[in-house]
Amino acid sequence: MSQIISLDNLKRLLDAKIADGATVVAPVQDGDFVSFKAIDKAENATLQPRAAMQNSIKEFFFPKHETLFSFVRQGNDVQLLDAPDFEKEQIVVGARPCDAAALEILDPLFAWDYQDRFFQERRKQTTVVAFACTVCDAHCFCTAVGGAPDNTKGADALLYQTEDGSFEVKTLTEKGEKLFAGQLTDGSANLKPLATPNGAIKTEEVASWIKDNFTSPVWEKVSLRCVGCGACAFVCPTCHCFDIVDEGSYSKGKRVKNWDSCQEAMFTLHASGHNPRATQGARQRQRLTHKFVTYPQKFGFYLCTGCGSCSRSCGASFGVRPCLEALEQNATQK
Amino acid sequence: MNSETTKNDSFEPKIIAFVCNWCTYLGADLAGTNRLEYPANIRIIRLPCTGRIDFNLIVKAFEIGADAVLVSGCHPGDCHYTAGNFHARRRWGLFRELLQTVGVDMQRVNFSWISAAEGAKFQKLVTEIVEKTRQLGPYTAYHDVVEKA
Amino acid sequence: MENELRNAIRELLTQKQVDVVIGYGKVGVDGAIGALFITDPSEVDAMVWNDECRQNLAVHLTRPEVKALGKAAIVVKPCDARAIVVLANEAQIDRDNLVVISAPCTGVKKADASGHKTDELEKKCLSCVEHVPQNVDVVVGATDAAQALDAQNQEVAQNRSAGHQTRLAELRAKSPEERFDFWKKEFDRCIRCYACRQNCPLCYCRRCVADKNRPVRIDSSASLKGNFAWNILRAFHLAGRCIGCGACANACPAGIELDLLNLTLANAAQDQFGYVSGKTLGEAPLIGTYDTTDKEEFIR
Repeated sequence: MSQIISLDNLKRLLDAKIADGATVVAPVQDGDFVSFKAIDKAENATLQPRAAMQNSIKEFFFPKHETLFSFVRQGNDVQLLDAPDFEKEQIVVGARPCDAAALEILDPLFAWDYQDRFFQERRKQTTVVAFACTVCDAHCFCTAVGGAPDNTKGADALLYQTEDGSFEVKTLTEKGEKLFAGQLTDGSANLKPLATPNGAIKTEEVASWIKDNFTSPVWEKVSLRCVGCGACAFVCPTCHCFDIVDEGSYSKGKRVKNWDSCQEAMFTLHASGHNPRATQGARQRQRLTHKFVTYPQKFGFYLCTGCGSCSRSCGASFGVRPCLEALEQNATQK
Repeated sequence: MNSETTKNDSFEPKIIAFVCNWCTYLGADLAGTNRLEYPANIRIIRLPCTGRIDFNLIVKAFEIGADAVLVSGCHPGDCHYTAGNFHARRRWGLFRELLQTVGVDMQRVNFSWISAAEGAKFQKLVTEIVEKTRQLGPYTAYHDVVEKA
Repeated sequence: MENELRNAIRELLTQKQVDVVIGYGKVGVDGAIGALFITDPSEVDAMVWNDECRQNLAVHLTRPEVKALGKAAIVVKPCDARAIVVLANEAQIDRDNLVVISAPCTGVKKADASGHKTDELEKKCLSCVEHVPQNVDVVVGATDAAQALDAQNQEVAQNRSAGHQTRLAELRAKSPEERFDFWKKEFDRCIRCYACRQNCPLCYCRRCVADKNRPVRIDSSASLKGNFAWNILRAFHLAGRCIGCGACANACPAGIELDLLNLTLANAAQDQFGYVSGKTLGEAPLIGTYDTTDKEEFIR
């Protein structure tokens, strides 16, 4: 016996949550693109598994732009105002398993030397409902980094689409159970087959090559076509670098946290004019080293879930997969 | 900001004028020394030349709460630096088109030539712009974009 | 055509006339096409030329990493060649130290979200009248088909009645409020990754004003305020310069129709000053010059 929810009942559940005041985030079709967005009714969402997403669910935990505190000056008085606590219930539905997995990868990072209440509060308030993948494309490589089309990491519930468009529900945490309590019916499910991507990349070998080849000329060669924008980092569910800047005027302003990317030359530019990562090769090496060597050393996970968003959105046909594949040739040659 | 409540008498438009040092600024000065009265809603920012008036300043003016903008300098042929205003004219012609595509309210973006001898023209134009902006109400569309930041 | 191109490149490399050739290759996922840098004649066969060569390779000409490779030859589509003319006119490249190779084009196809080719032509191709290479050093292949396409598109180009021109006309027909709301929705998605800037062959400043912080010209935040300021600024810094290759819009991970902003300015440059950028080598930049008879009916 499986636990089933029909598409209509899932929509009804989401609508009820919206009516309760929760923020519901779901995939929404917008022209040629499908992106995760807060919805005001479930009807607007496209509730089915998808590989190519324009954004990741990262931004609902770690927004592209966030106010830390603000100030207002009146006469000689300066008033400091803390950013409000994140107290609203949030439900992210339709996450790809590779999106959800990223949350668990990022948890230790935002709770390490500094307890980042912005991320932590959102994590606490959010229930993540992932869809097991019934589709994938050539960019996907989750199986090469420990993932799978039905990976449960980071999700509170995993939904398997059935042939008739309903979902078999696997609740994974208390939050997931609470969300679906009383919503499920027993039945037998005729599941759509899962789509397993081509993950034939020798990730471990490449990671160990990266570790030992900091000065290799290969880096310049493989990343020559990268033009140095931040698209790959900003669509990545795991990239988490940010920049803190003050904005505003003499009379009022705020301190904000904005996404930042190691692929931009400005990222490491010193005030003296010296740039320790002077070329795109050095920047790409940083990105890959962080993802496959330093982060695993520190937190035990690859900083990559194999979602393929980077290469899908790259204007220069680059990204993690093409880079890993190019490095693999070197790693396995010797 | 609420246009319903501010459209009435209590609304005082904020107008930012970017003017060149050699003509329009002196024109404004002349208006003053001649005791020609004009509304106090205009904040004048003096720049060396219209050629120096970066298009981005117009955007910036709306960002900091301007309801309308005036950009003004020497008549063609009178530029202190020979051709600054000719260069500026070409840029404005193009920039206006971009603002139109973006949907900026063009009734709030004004350009003029006012010489050092045209104190009266300055008075008349400023009065006109302030009156028109008062009719239009505050530029809530752009200010909302800023508030949402 | 592909083979003729390869032969031309092979000859340049074997005769050591150039150190590197920038061409198209199946470098990305599933053979997605991107820039290929060929330094050895034995690698020439990896170069491809087909209707998926969307990117404008001229962006690489001003990058320090590429300059470091030595004298270059570049393969470009006829429309992209205009970017090289602008770069030369703005003294960003030494045109005499560069070999530009092109072949007649019949348009490139759009890609779907996974990067696969669709049957649809790119929007800009629908009103393109530059299928035949101009201002390049080497042209390979017969130009008949390309010339026929040029002739066929003459009318829609003149009337601005196809592709992105239609999109722009639709937008311009709306009220200012509707247009503003449209861009609010578009710019809300902007993540400030600067893919538009980095993929643009003409955004070559070593330090962009968006990255300058003393003083702050525009907010670096991806807020609506910062995004309006950035997208207006980016478009206008290309006024009278943009050649309409669409690299910005194609590279935008948020799918913002950036090409409409640039197209507005290109149309305005043509309407007001009869100027089309990148057509003539040695021509002065539109905004770097003036005419005493320039229009000024909008100035009071």
